[in-house]
Amino acid sequence: MRRQDPAARWMGAAILAVLGAVAAAAPLVAPGDPYRLTGPALTAPSWTHPFGTDDLGRDVFAGVVHGAATSLRVGAVGAAGALLLGVLVGGIAGMRGGWIDQALMRAADFVQAMPRFFLAITAVSLFGGGLSLIMLVIALTAWPGTARVFRSLVVSTRRREFVLASQAAGAPERWILRRHVVPLTISVAVAHASYQAGGAILAEAGLSFLGLGDPSVMSWGTQLGFAQQMVREAWWTSVFPGLAIALTVLGCNLLADSVGHRTDRPQPIP
Amino acid sequence: MTSRTFAAWVVRRLAVAAAVVAGVAVVTFVLIHLAPGDPIYLLAGDGGSPAYYADMRARYGLDRPLPAQLATYLAAVLTLDFGYSFVHQAPVSRVLLAHAPASLLLGGAALALATAAGLFAGVLPALTRSLAVDRVVRWGASITYASPVFWTGQIFVYVFAVRLGILPAAGITTARETLTGLAAGGDVLRHLLLPALTLSLPFAAIIARVVRAALVEIAREPFVLATSARGFSRARVLLGHAVPNVLPPVVTLVGLHAAQLAAGAALIEALFGWPGVGHLVLQASLHRDYPLVVGAFIGISASVVFFNAAADAVCAWLDPRVRQT
Amino acid sequence: MRRLLVSACLLASASAAACSSASNAGQSRPVTLVVALASDPGALNPAVTTSGNTHPVTDQLFNGLVGLDEAFNPVPELAERWSIEDDGRTYRFFLRPGVRWHDGTPFTSADVRFTFEAALLRYHSRTRAALEGVIEAIETPDDLTVIFRLTRPYSPLLQRLDVVEASIIPRHQYDGHDLLTGEPTRRPIGTGPFRIVSHTPSDRIVLERNTQYFRPGLPRVDRVVFRILPNAAAAVAALEAGEVDYVSGVPGPAIPRLRASPAVTVVPGTAGPGGALCQDVLIPNLARRPFNDPRVRRAFAHAIDRAFIHERVYYGLGRVATGPISHLMTWAYTADVPQYRHDPAEANRLLDAAGHPRGRDGVRMRLTFTHAATHQRLGQALREGLKLAGIDLALETRDFNAAVEQVFVKKAFDLGVASYCNGVDPDIGVRRAYVSSNIGPYPFSNGAGYRNPRIDALFEEASRQQDRARRRDLYVEIQRILAADVPYFWLVDTEALRAHRSTFTGFRPWTGAFLETVAAVAAETP
Repeated sequence: MRRQDPAARWMGAAILAVLGAVAAAAPLVAPGDPYRLTGPALTAPSWTHPFGTDDLGRDVFAGVVHGAATSLRVGAVGAAGALLLGVLVGGIAGMRGGWIDQALMRAADFVQAMPRFFLAITAVSLFGGGLSLIMLVIALTAWPGTARVFRSLVVSTRRREFVLASQAAGAPERWILRRHVVPLTISVAVAHASYQAGGAILAEAGLSFLGLGDPSVMSWGTQLGFAQQMVREAWWTSVFPGLAIALTVLGCNLLADSVGHRTDRPQPIP
Repeated sequence: MTSRTFAAWVVRRLAVAAAVVAGVAVVTFVLIHLAPGDPIYLLAGDGGSPAYYADMRARYGLDRPLPAQLATYLAAVLTLDFGYSFVHQAPVSRVLLAHAPASLLLGGAALALATAAGLFAGVLPALTRSLAVDRVVRWGASITYASPVFWTGQIFVYVFAVRLGILPAAGITTARETLTGLAAGGDVLRHLLLPALTLSLPFAAIIARVVRAALVEIAREPFVLATSARGFSRARVLLGHAVPNVLPPVVTLVGLHAAQLAAGAALIEALFGWPGVGHLVLQASLHRDYPLVVGAFIGISASVVFFNAAADAVCAWLDPRVRQT
Repeated sequence: MRRLLVSACLLASASAAACSSASNAGQSRPVTLVVALASDPGALNPAVTTSGNTHPVTDQLFNGLVGLDEAFNPVPELAERWSIEDDGRTYRFFLRPGVRWHDGTPFTSADVRFTFEAALLRYHSRTRAALEGVIEAIETPDDLTVIFRLTRPYSPLLQRLDVVEASIIPRHQYDGHDLLTGEPTRRPIGTGPFRIVSHTPSDRIVLERNTQYFRPGLPRVDRVVFRILPNAAAAVAALEAGEVDYVSGVPGPAIPRLRASPAVTVVPGTAGPGGALCQDVLIPNLARRPFNDPRVRRAFAHAIDRAFIHERVYYGLGRVATGPISHLMTWAYTADVPQYRHDPAEANRLLDAAGHPRGRDGVRMRLTFTHAATHQRLGQALREGLKLAGIDLALETRDFNAAVEQVFVKKAFDLGVASYCNGVDPDIGVRRAYVSSNIGPYPFSNGAGYRNPRIDALFEEASRQQDRARRRDLYVEIQRILAADVPYFWLVDTEALRAHRSTFTGFRPWTGAFLETVAAVAAETP
């Protein structure tokens, strides 16, 4: 049972690939503006409206399809931010050691202690809900976990014999980093950062649910927020966008799992 | 593992925690005051004249320069005075303390449920040694972890409160009567069930995954095979030996996810109308109630940091090797 | 099925209670009324705030000098009669004898004077703005007489003296305490039909019947519990389950279901603490292109499909607006004004004539609609309709504060939106949007920047004129001129629906003291 379920290994990538295709093909699959009022309000799923319509008459299916792009963007930026900043900070801390290490890890403590979601709520309600602001806040707060894991891996790899041998032979640090340390540790960092993708998507959905999302882009969270008033009358306004979020986050997590499993390093706990 | 080094370690962590919380306070304060928009129109009523708004701005101290306001605020915080909430018209500390119990109750109940459910689900595959059970637990955990809490909450409300009508849809107590004693406690528990259940799901999923993974490894250990060969029941062996080994990662997990728990709680509170701190912060941000927002941030980040430190302390006490990191 | 049983049981028990209390409130089993409130009221001093969260509670604890009936005419309350002298420059109020505060202290004219001088004219935004320059002095020749001496005639004075706009607070409690933050704001003592029992923050406020209330036989319920339910859908669910008896803001999608339910009665609410006779109005920026041109404004008015917006965005509540005065202000309203029916062809023609031809992409002009999140659906509906006229509307959603600042303070906008409430007299809420003296950097002022000396003069005269017939003539002329000029785009006379359980009756949703005459209904077949 140590082996990963073979289905899971490719399923994550498959889900995300399908979603990516849907997002890219949005103009074909659901042409026009998803905010367009296309039919009578609150109609149940039918052939013309596969996911029904909401209380203004907007097509829920079009909203879900167009919302895919938003979520994928947020997830990608979140993961990228976590990876870049995390590897940078963790790498420097791990290689340098000493007071730089201490200072950077205290900075990581600080960022981690900041209640990220509340910070986002405050930032958005004060500065206005733009997707860029949301992604910025998420990316800037996603790196501490990755940094910590990467740093400890770097530290333990440095002590491995072949690295010490290279150092004794006079190889420059950057070369050692690139040649030995990074290849062994990067997959773990990537896995850790990939978990951030799912977290980023949930965070953006949560903000949109509370009404703090970017109103000019379609978001699943916003759909769920509007659906709150109508759960009794129109279950379809709630079920489909939520299902989309769950599926996307699941895909990200499965992908992260499969990346992590490729090595025999201790697995990062999400 | 001397108690003196342990105590020193604890003191060091606390000092770091205090510095971190102070930093959060300053950053939040500055951030809020840099934001565009004048809060006076929300605080002071509509339809007033310019002279009136100028008067009210002075009254609330909003016309002083930012560094002066920050200095006054920090000085006050050191005496545990967190200012006065514009919207609630009461000291911030009082407002926070009035709302904290509801959040703690929700968080505590969710954690308890998550730990119990997660342990149970995680132990099951190793106990039953069934591939099917293992698959169900793993996939169930993955899907549950991926589902947003405000979505599962909506579905629970629809099923249990609207369709079946057996649980209340919102609030912490029943509106009509003011119950006392046991009846009051029972009433709160009835209202607590759905929100706590919803909030517990993602954490139950994580705990289940970790426990499962750890137990599966341990189940392969020779000593397990040996003891079961000697006639002890497999269940007793696993539970007696394995579960204590699983506790440190679970505790660390809980600490790591304290911030996430707080965030999830805010969403749940908004969905269920639960009168806790998360909902309070959301309303305060929307209404530009600066003192309350900063005070709440300090409270929340202090709790998160404390929680993390406590989790680390428990782990360090259980396993001295951890203390090196 | 379960819910039906529960509701039936509640109905039966409420009816049983009603049977015993219909004749004399407070007998065997106390009748409790539960009201849903959207957020915590905070401090309970009504004389210093206009908040729509505070007043629903405090309006049951306090009184004004006068009350208002369904047509917004003044009726006696703390003042049992009054006389208007000196061509409207002097108002003499004769106070009702024998009125006591909740702690037993007698109510006197000194309380009235204190309320105005220390609280209303300093901290109450609307009262101070309107009456600061109008009230010259307040005299109290004896304990039961108050004289208001005005600098000039001001006919809407009485409409501003009800419990919503001018609650009377006790001098003996507040003297020496801070009016905004002092201890009395947590333990309010009023003269009203209910007194406060407890206030649990963010949870509930409990009131009980004032047995010494100056109106005999009232109130008819023993307890009122304000339950704080921030989520409107949850409040409606609680109403249907019988946990709550009165909800004041019913969300649109729930209305058909509530109307069909016999356990719930739906009533329109036109006035009250949240604002009276409100209209949702689009605000064009008259200081810049293209709205500085009246032809463009008229074209725009033709391009908007008010009926569609009324049906979709407002769920058919209220009525399509025709001008600056709500149709509910019956004595001043006229429908005989230039109208702008939905006519995209006419809009296109007018825009062509005004020098805004279509570009190659079919777009004549690009405008930005600055609004807060509450008007998001409106923005989307508008955008769709305006495309037919070649107008590309970009939606700029900000949070409420930032939107208000952008439109009213910075005046950096093309099109904004606001809910302008008429108030119970046109001088209270209509005038401020159209007179040139009210153009300034503060919210709900003359946001469009409209200047018309004739309009300024008409409003001024109407505020001095005592004769209602003559005032009507003035307001009719105002409506005609404004409808022709179109300085704003009036969309809908909004109506908020209130819903209550059918086991209670006697709500007065047009006024602050909406619970004064509420009673439980006698037993019916469930």
